[in-house]
Amino acid sequence: MAQTVQERAVTRGRALPVTGTPHLARKRRLFWPFVLPAIVLYVLFLVGPAIVTVALSFTRWSGAGTPRFAGLEEYRQMLGSESFGYAFANTLMYIAVGGIGTFLFAFLFAMVLRDMKASKLIRAILFFPNIVAPVAIGMFFGFVFRYNPSKQGLANFLLNLVGAPAAKFLQPESVVWVVIGALIWASAGFYITILMAAIDRIPPYLYEDADLCGATPWQKFRHITLPMIWDVVGIAGVLWTIGAVKIFEMVFVLAGPGTYLPPNKTWTLAIYVYDRSFGTQGTPEYGVACATAVVMIVLVTFLVLTLRWVMRRERLEY
Amino acid sequence: MSNTRILAALGLATSLALTACGSSGTPASETGGSPAQQADGGEFTLPTAAAYFNTSCPSVAVKPATDKELTYWSMWTKDEPQGKVVQYVADCFTKQTGVKVNIQWLGRAYLRQNLVPALNTDTVPDLFDQDFTGVKAAVVQAGGTQPVDDVLDMKTGDGTVREILPAPYWDTPAAKDEAGKLFSIPYIVLGDAWWYNKKQVAGLQAPKRMDELFSLFDSAKKAGRSAVALDGDISYYGAWFFEQAAARYVGPGGLAKAAQDKTGQAWKADPGFQKAAEYTSKIGSYLIDGWDAAKFPQIQQRWADGDADFLFMGSWGPTETREYLNKQGGGEAIDYGSFQYPMPEGATHDVIEVQEIGFSVTKKAKHPEAAKAFMAYFLNRAMLAGVPAVADSLTPRKDLPVPSDIADLKAALDDPAKTHMLFMDGLDGIAGGKFTEQVLFPADNDLLKGKITAPQFVDRLAAKTAEFWKTQH
Repeated sequence: MAQTVQERAVTRGRALPVTGTPHLARKRRLFWPFVLPAIVLYVLFLVGPAIVTVALSFTRWSGAGTPRFAGLEEYRQMLGSESFGYAFANTLMYIAVGGIGTFLFAFLFAMVLRDMKASKLIRAILFFPNIVAPVAIGMFFGFVFRYNPSKQGLANFLLNLVGAPAAKFLQPESVVWVVIGALIWASAGFYITILMAAIDRIPPYLYEDADLCGATPWQKFRHITLPMIWDVVGIAGVLWTIGAVKIFEMVFVLAGPGTYLPPNKTWTLAIYVYDRSFGTQGTPEYGVACATAVVMIVLVTFLVLTLRWVMRRERLEY
Repeated sequence: MSNTRILAALGLATSLALTACGSSGTPASETGGSPAQQADGGEFTLPTAAAYFNTSCPSVAVKPATDKELTYWSMWTKDEPQGKVVQYVADCFTKQTGVKVNIQWLGRAYLRQNLVPALNTDTVPDLFDQDFTGVKAAVVQAGGTQPVDDVLDMKTGDGTVREILPAPYWDTPAAKDEAGKLFSIPYIVLGDAWWYNKKQVAGLQAPKRMDELFSLFDSAKKAGRSAVALDGDISYYGAWFFEQAAARYVGPGGLAKAAQDKTGQAWKADPGFQKAAEYTSKIGSYLIDGWDAAKFPQIQQRWADGDADFLFMGSWGPTETREYLNKQGGGEAIDYGSFQYPMPEGATHDVIEVQEIGFSVTKKAKHPEAAKAFMAYFLNRAMLAGVPAVADSLTPRKDLPVPSDIADLKAALDDPAKTHMLFMDGLDGIAGGKFTEQVLFPADNDLLKGKITAPQFVDRLAAKTAEFWKTQH
């Protein structure tokens, strides 16, 4: 089936004449006037700054004066920083554990939502946290996980209700897990929406056939849903990875007081970049910040390529 | 980091006063003096917040000869009390001199986000303000300021700056660059203290020794309350206990010196650090349950609710907690009392922590003359009165009445027997704050939680300090 599509595309390509009709000639004349502004803006605001970021990562610069070439010194500074170690490890944890949790959650709903009544309403409700600002969600969970023996937050209130002792969720040793939970809660709806949009395109007769054969929801998911939406799962995985590398607000607000940086044990790479740019008490260290940004770009590129490679598979057409 | 918190607190803390100063407007008149506040016989009474904005503009003692305008980048926002005071003084200055003051209200984070990047350009302000630590670390070290020593001899209208500002508030390394020149002239003073509610801890005598302090803590526990409140998610609040005790052993500059010792052995060389750690460890056992899972400002609110007897906090503590109680309703009010950290056994340095916010002039300023004249004018008593009257904050002047809640603290700050020391001895500015972030705060947190003992704490500081400096430029 895939080959058929490819052949069709090639045929279409061949059908385009080299010289073309007057209509096509006019189209070609319009090509650059339409594309050029986009290219200029893209280069100016994305490619250019990215190149400058890489260049600055090899300099020492406080924002004032001229950047001074420092070779790999800023990278050495970054790698020697304990805070960077925490930030890197936490970012990987948010990507991996948060990603696994989010997709398990999304798959769980994908298994049951298709057959549920009021499926669209439930999807809308699940999507809701995604439209709330992460800062607000972080503040909200700050109240939910409050530890105060005389006035507990909702989580500890429920624990006490079932006779369990209250837990100090927000202490630095455990707040990373709370943030992961909050991320899953806030993000799952977005990925459920993407996966369900793909699931809705699966021909119903496949499920009808499976029903006639007496398949369980798990079997239907394993043998119909998952193979049919595999490409979309891959794209969703890429989106999650790119988003998770940049996690900032939720950690900033939930793991700290909100007015300044949280304890360094809870940092992410994005927080580290912020601290070295604007959060420091001294002169900004844009060299280290840019080196970290380069690490983030390399990390996301590596993870995305790995993910695409792991999830590579011949595309199904239906 | 701590200063970000301090400055954010200032903004929050004074919102109560906002309601009272909503009527800030144009200066009332252009006559000299400030008769509204000058009672017969020269006694100066603090105006109400509303009355301040009707204060007559005092005449200027120093009129810029050539400058017709100046640009000021402000750490305040236009609508907060300090911003309103600054705007009023600027309006008065314009009326009296004809010099237009162009103010950009940029908020607390502008130093690194706006000013430092602008130093590369010619678009810099003439005048700007921030706390000493922040300005020194971000702008002075980048060569972005010019000396303002000449402001000391400028007239304010009621004396020269040198005459009206006690020397400890400006003759300090914290206000000077590497060449020993002043880079800032202060107009707001911040301090810290143990705070308590006089209604809850009746008849308290300020403890002179640490054992007396611990007796007070024991009394709180006996009464069924927690002894000490602490929002542990603000790391430097927790580090105060160690740093206050240690500073009394090693004196001003001692902590900073140890932190900058590349071998880390300075922490072990002076036994005062371990003794301070022992006191800190003991204070840790008196902390309120849940301090280590805190979400600021929940724990200081619990103190305001009476769950704990004592709170070690900056001079903004009363206004923050009062604001909370007012929002809660119910008419609860605290009768604030405060005392300084007692002298630990064997300590010899009677220090008091201070942080100051002042005006500075950029190196590339186009109108330095006007900027300096404005700095002097701002310190005129009638003008500076807006700081305590509207913003409920302390000033470096001795002859301005002080809001009653922070009067004890001001008396301690003005006490000549006490030696001024920069907040945290400037530890939070060392290596741009990275030292406290990576070395002191994590170790201090573990000490307070009882995860490590005092000797282990000192060993860890020594090892981590050496490790830290190996990775620095």
